[in-house]
Amino acid sequence: MNPASLLNALPGAVAQGLIWGIMSIGVYITYKVLDLADLTVDGSMATGGAVCVMLMLNGWNVWLALLCAIVAGMLAGFLTGVFHTVMGIPAILAGILTQLSLYSLNLAVMDFKANQGINVTKYPLIVSQRNVRTLSIDNPIFITLIFLAVLIGILYWFFGTETGCSLRATGANEAMARAQGINTKKAKILGLMLSNGIVALASVLLAHYQGFVDVNMGRGAIVIGLAAVIISEVLFGKLFRNFALKLIAVAIGAVLYFIVIQVVLWLGLNTNLLKLLSALIVAVFLAIPYWKTHLSAKHPAKGGQTHA
Amino acid sequence: MKKALSVLIAMVLVLCLSGLAAAEGTTYHIGICQLVQHVALDAATQGFQDALKEKLGETVVFDLQNASGDTNTCSTIMNGFVSNNVDLIMANATPALQAAVAATGDIPILGTSVTDYATALDISDWTGATGINVSGTSDLAPLDQQAAMLHELFPEATKIGLLYCSAEPNSKYQVDVIKGYLEAYGCTCTEYTFADSNDVASVAQNACDGSEVIYIPTDNTAASCTEAIRNVVEPAGIPAVAGEEGLCKGCGVATLSISYYDLGYATGEMAYEVLVNGADAATMEIRFAPNVTKEYNAELCEVLGVSIPEGYAAIE
Repeated sequence: MNPASLLNALPGAVAQGLIWGIMSIGVYITYKVLDLADLTVDGSMATGGAVCVMLMLNGWNVWLALLCAIVAGMLAGFLTGVFHTVMGIPAILAGILTQLSLYSLNLAVMDFKANQGINVTKYPLIVSQRNVRTLSIDNPIFITLIFLAVLIGILYWFFGTETGCSLRATGANEAMARAQGINTKKAKILGLMLSNGIVALASVLLAHYQGFVDVNMGRGAIVIGLAAVIISEVLFGKLFRNFALKLIAVAIGAVLYFIVIQVVLWLGLNTNLLKLLSALIVAVFLAIPYWKTHLSAKHPAKGGQTHA
Repeated sequence: MKKALSVLIAMVLVLCLSGLAAAEGTTYHIGICQLVQHVALDAATQGFQDALKEKLGETVVFDLQNASGDTNTCSTIMNGFVSNNVDLIMANATPALQAAVAATGDIPILGTSVTDYATALDISDWTGATGINVSGTSDLAPLDQQAAMLHELFPEATKIGLLYCSAEPNSKYQVDVIKGYLEAYGCTCTEYTFADSNDVASVAQNACDGSEVIYIPTDNTAASCTEAIRNVVEPAGIPAVAGEEGLCKGCGVATLSISYYDLGYATGEMAYEVLVNGADAATMEIRFAPNVTKEYNAELCEVLGVSIPEGYAAIE
């Protein structure tokens, strides 16, 4: 319970949070922009890392491997999109189906091993947890921030283009979007691909950061992603109106999530209860907007509608 | 508000002081990260702590954290350990070890319940020690002894079926190794793999049809559906030799068992070497379970008419 050690632990929490912040931006695109709950991410959060690590072990260039990993993530999103739009399967179920199939596919990518380590001293990893407390350009916080800045820049530009606008319109009001001549099925598939491509990027960074890829790496990813989106909504919803700022808020939300976890660990909570705590954090942040509307609805009535 | 603030400040100060007080004297701080709540892993952690408490008494402090099966939490826990600057990290199970290695290149790390360090840490030229700040114990029961035991129990058998789950790298590794030992006894081995618990019964039936004895490695999927396997092997009258006690209890006739408590205890002894005697983890050889016991499943042996020689203990 030494405060200095908590302070010392913060860089790690921030780095981890920023990596999951990239992943959460992927979740934001489906959950907020497209208004779809996409559970594919639990699978694609392992796919990206698996593809990248296996290619690197086979002597590929790290950036080429990263590119392939992103493409693999996009293919996973494409699969969910096809399940959803072409086969008419509800989005949640379509995501679960892809997630399920990705378990086998990830195993196949990893040569049917459930876990594969990659050594930081032997391969040019993009980020590594080892450098998290060093003041150099190798620091994962610095590198992940660059990735985030570029990603947010690209997304800001993309959602201003005609295709991007059609995506937003599809999420805002599907019937209206269709009436405007937008192919909403195409828009949904594109959104799912974009989202899972981003998740795959985060997966690569996470695998590099922790030095291994595990077939169960993405389990529960959607909870962290949603937590980040919701925390950002509650804390910065009123403050940040601009789309780019909203994406930054999502990344901050993920960082806060990991800081809370690190603080709780530092406080000496029995780690067996950690999952319960994660669920409670998300539940509280989900409840705050609801309570707020209740409170503000009551004020003008001044107790006149207490039975309502 | 002001009052609350002053109370908070007071608390922080007290914490600072207690942190300083703890730093005095030679106390060894050890961070233990266990992957998941599991009987075997719990036993290994317990053995580790017992060994060190016995040797160091009150001068050792453990920070025991469990990742609840979440590999990502392993990284968070390791980050805490490194920032606390613990004297040694004990990583229980493979992903915990990998997270520890990613987190630090300086603090000595000891692993336990890890089957194959070379694969886990991506070391190609394996020499028995890792060459980095890592050592530890492996939970692999000696496969040559397992093959010898199978041959001792069933000297007449020539057709051996190797039953395991295709998704488990540890099983594949064990099967590949034991195959060589069994073939040296003049047996022919055939692999029968199932993808998950849903097709285990049909694959086990297939294995019974083609073999005289079945061998099952320490396969988690098989261990989770021993009843399904037993329902096939018992009517077929084919005995199965298992890689660990749980499997043997459920569907096997005999096993060579290691104790995870002993394994953890051995890891604790290695930790003592590193902490007190200044041994270098990089050159410490990976150790295996100190004792193996031959065990048999009395009930199933009787049903299948397998006679067990001296020196085997019945599983309770």
